[in-house]
Amino acid sequence: MEECDVHSTASILASVKEQEARFERLTRALEEERRTVSLQLERGTLPSTASGTQSLAWQQMVMQEQSPSNQTSLAMMQEPQEIVEETVTIEEDPGTPTSHVSVVTSDDGTTRRTETKVTKMVKTVTTRTVRQVPLGPDGVPFPEGSSPLGSYTNSIDRRFMKNGERFSTPQATSTLTRSYNNYSDSYGETPEGPYRHYGLHDGYGDLPDSYGSLSRGVNYRPRYPYMASSGYRPENSYTLPIRKDDYSHVAQPQVPLGGTVDLNRSQPERFQAEPYGLEDDRRSLGPDDDEPYDLESDYSTANRRTVGGANHGRHMREPPRVRGGYEDPIEADLIDDRHPYMPNLYSAPLAQAELGSLASLDRMGPMGGRRSPSADSVRKDPRWRDPDLPEVIAMLGHPVDPVKSNAAAYLQHLCYENDKVKKEVRHLKGVPLLVGLLDHPRPEVHRKACGALRNISYGRDHDNKVAIKNCDGIPALIRLLRKTSDMEVRELVTGTLWNLSSYEPLKMVIINHGLQTLTNEVIIPHSGWEQEPNEDSKPRDAEWTTVFKNTSGCLRNVSSDGAEARRRLRECEGLVDALLHALQSAVGKKDMDNKSVENCVCIMRNLSYHVHKEVPGAEKFQEPSTNQAPGSVGPQRKKKDDAGCFGGKKTKGRKNGESEKSYDTLDLPKRTEPTKGFELLYQPEVVRLYLSLLTESQNYNTLEAAAGALQNLSAGQWTWSNYIRATVRKEKGLPILVELLRSDSDKVVRAVAIALRNLSMDRRNKDLIGSYAMRDLVSNLPSGQQRPAKNLEEDTVVAVLNTIHEIVTDSSENARSLIQAQAIEKLVAINRTSQSQRETKAASYVLQAVWSHKELRNSLAKDGWNKTHFQPTATSQAKGTRSNKPAYDDTTLPLMEKNQGNKKSISGDMIPMDELDPDGYSTIDQKDKDCKYKSGDVSSDLAEREPLKNDTNRKQFVRTNRPAVNLVDTCDVKPQPVDSWV
Amino acid sequence: MSFIPGQPVTAVVQRIEICKLRQCDNLILGFSIGGGIDQDPGQNPFSEDKTDKGIYVTRVSKGGPAEAAGLMIGDKIMQVNGWDMTMVTHDQARKRLTKKNEDVVRLLVTRKSLEDAVRNAMV
Repeated sequence: MEECDVHSTASILASVKEQEARFERLTRALEEERRTVSLQLERGTLPSTASGTQSLAWQQMVMQEQSPSNQTSLAMMQEPQEIVEETVTIEEDPGTPTSHVSVVTSDDGTTRRTETKVTKMVKTVTTRTVRQVPLGPDGVPFPEGSSPLGSYTNSIDRRFMKNGERFSTPQATSTLTRSYNNYSDSYGETPEGPYRHYGLHDGYGDLPDSYGSLSRGVNYRPRYPYMASSGYRPENSYTLPIRKDDYSHVAQPQVPLGGTVDLNRSQPERFQAEPYGLEDDRRSLGPDDDEPYDLESDYSTANRRTVGGANHGRHMREPPRVRGGYEDPIEADLIDDRHPYMPNLYSAPLAQAELGSLASLDRMGPMGGRRSPSADSVRKDPRWRDPDLPEVIAMLGHPVDPVKSNAAAYLQHLCYENDKVKKEVRHLKGVPLLVGLLDHPRPEVHRKACGALRNISYGRDHDNKVAIKNCDGIPALIRLLRKTSDMEVRELVTGTLWNLSSYEPLKMVIINHGLQTLTNEVIIPHSGWEQEPNEDSKPRDAEWTTVFKNTSGCLRNVSSDGAEARRRLRECEGLVDALLHALQSAVGKKDMDNKSVENCVCIMRNLSYHVHKEVPGAEKFQEPSTNQAPGSVGPQRKKKDDAGCFGGKKTKGRKNGESEKSYDTLDLPKRTEPTKGFELLYQPEVVRLYLSLLTESQNYNTLEAAAGALQNLSAGQWTWSNYIRATVRKEKGLPILVELLRSDSDKVVRAVAIALRNLSMDRRNKDLIGSYAMRDLVSNLPSGQQRPAKNLEEDTVVAVLNTIHEIVTDSSENARSLIQAQAIEKLVAINRTSQSQRETKAASYVLQAVWSHKELRNSLAKDGWNKTHFQPTATSQAKGTRSNKPAYDDTTLPLMEKNQGNKKSISGDMIPMDELDPDGYSTIDQKDKDCKYKSGDVSSDLAEREPLKNDTNRKQFVRTNRPAVNLVDTCDVKPQPVDSWV
Repeated sequence: MSFIPGQPVTAVVQRIEICKLRQCDNLILGFSIGGGIDQDPGQNPFSEDKTDKGIYVTRVSKGGPAEAAGLMIGDKIMQVNGWDMTMVTHDQARKRLTKKNEDVVRLLVTRKSLEDAVRNAMV
């Protein structure tokens, strides 16, 4: 045996032709060996049967394994016959190196029975040997000598089947061998396929030894070839055998049981393996992510395949492969033959086999080249060894396609959740090789390569992403997306892009290379949107495929890359239209909780950010700042209008007509043609969409994004934001938003609070919110030392405080509501005791605003409050209101610029809802966002305002004056549905 | 039926179970509702307290499932399948009643005649 191994290593180097040439020589040598083997066998049989001793049994195992592998590779068909033969051979060869024996037998068997194959090639012979080997195990002394006989007889096929079924071992072995085979396959360069490969292997193995190329050596050797580069040792080659040993001991004897035993062991691992499916980094999408579920399943399969393919997976897969398309040419050839038999023989076994293979894979994976042999192998055979990382990467450049794909698949497996391996792959220059394989014409190759890239691109180590980009991986991925129609590949490509998109510097690259392609290839087709809708047919619904999810996730990430990115996305033809269509379809189907919807809403929110500044032609719609926008509440104007505002329901005529009119009746600009593209972003029609999402969705991220979209749209001083603010009210959006203040989700509360603040730029909204939302706002504030049950983050508390500030300012009615909501106590407590300076400051501003309403001071005094409670505390005072300005870091500055606020402050209110990647991949972190806000908003002029002195003398405010305004402003709403049939 | 915030509400209620009638794709209860916290309670002809923003039955179709179940015009719907209906918007109430996946709705309703009857009985 050892000799064989050694030879095999040498043989690796040998070329196929040489092998053939030497074949005859080898056969002779084999004969000799046989004799020796027979001797060994005698020895070996005993030990092996006994319980496994080592080498002999082990060898036998190897043999068997090989044979199985051959079977697998060759074709199931042959098996029966071969099996029979094998039994014979086995007996002969047990001791001998498996390869030899098998070869001989195979020769015989082939010649005898399957002449066709034999005739084909030497290689075929080898394959047969393999088969024989499996038989051997069965036929082998231990398992069943009888079986061989039976197999021999007529029932060959049947027998086989039986044997096969019964003897799980053979199959198991087969699986093992396969892995080897795979390697060997890689070696076999010849197009001829499986046979050839085998032949080659054999040849290699044999050459040195003179063993027939046929021998299992081939199987072993496959590895060697790789090893050759790395300098493998013969022993390594045996790794597979080791396993076999297990089988031999356990499986073979027990045949059925044994096989199962092994399987069982492996099974657990296998299950673990499934996570591999997850491996893919389905990015983010984390929980949702998305989507992990789907991916998982896919991946698991993929992984298995890949794994199997890469290493041993094939064994397991064999049966499956047969059914599915095989990647390797060889297999394909074989398939035909196999089919007939497959069902019988392999059906039962297959399942197990798969498990086993997976197990093996798993083990392999951990070892990852560097890792020591799998637990099993370690336990049983120290010689077992997996290819190490450099070897695997070298295989990516192997001339034989299956080797490439297997290597890539193995890499994917190794990289799964293993940042170290990813890094190493990068250092070993594996990334450019993988990227190069993306353009490979064979689906199997580019698919596996893409899978590996997906795993490599996942994670927080951005260097991996950069490495992919640096070798032009992004254009290559996009090319592949355009080229392929294979759903799995598309999922992998888009998943990889999603991963890449989480890294800030890559976002623009993705936009430059892939935006239109992603939109045209994925977003539009899957959204159901049709550019020119067929009037006869119903509008199509969106399909929430994994591809769509991945792509929308990618766009969601890139949409956060600043103004230029937003501009590109807005102007990307069909994108906004398709996203809106998809969301409308989601609302229509009441399917609003999935990840894809979340992604779409997030994109919409991001694209809505700063529309009033960034959209082409926005200047035309700007409301002159001097001329108070209808909704805006400038202090001066307020004074004039307040009376009217509070005095009568209808404000008609009291204000300067134009703005009032537009805001009450929503005279939208006439459209000559249907709106399309980015204009859709801010049409009042979208309000209903977002409100539907806010009403129906259970997904916090979606809720947050929808509220954020309204927040973005209602910010700014331009005509459209006025429409939006009024539309929210008319669509009865205020109660919906207020209800969400009770949400358990911190970010939802925050987004809603800020949205309400922006909406209160509209005076009527402000009144409504003041009277109906105050309690809910106040309930989100921490009381004294205790945080509310929700335990909201600082940001949220500050946002709520700023919203309250906004509502209370210049509205003593609202300030009164605030007092009635028992907020003063909380505010004072925050002001005095909060650990957060921002909270303290924000509370202080609210208190000052309240105190500025002189008419309320009496009642405040009655409740036991005095001026000191409303003054900034010592700490905050230290900074001084004036000096505070710069320090006023509130992201949610009061919308209204108190002193002729500048627009900037308004814009500051808009939260750039950057990619909130659930998975945590959002590149932009909170700080970034804060920075954005800050930069956006000039520090509020609060300090200058001197709130305390800011008393507008409005004593006449009496509650009774106030029209009973419902949250939904009835006067705005036309005829309300008084009742509705149900 | 009016109540003071913070105080428990007592009402005499009747349980009514209505099996929805299926017409094509639509499930029909056979009554209409008015009211809701987003509506003007002053226009509700059925409420005693004109600030009551509850959901009221405004019409009942002849021979419909609601009538068969005993629902009457002017009933105030307190609960639908256990969900409170005294502090909801009109639309929320409508949605709660028209769930497509529910063939049966169980209402808790109160009506003046019920209250009167109880009061008389107690007297």
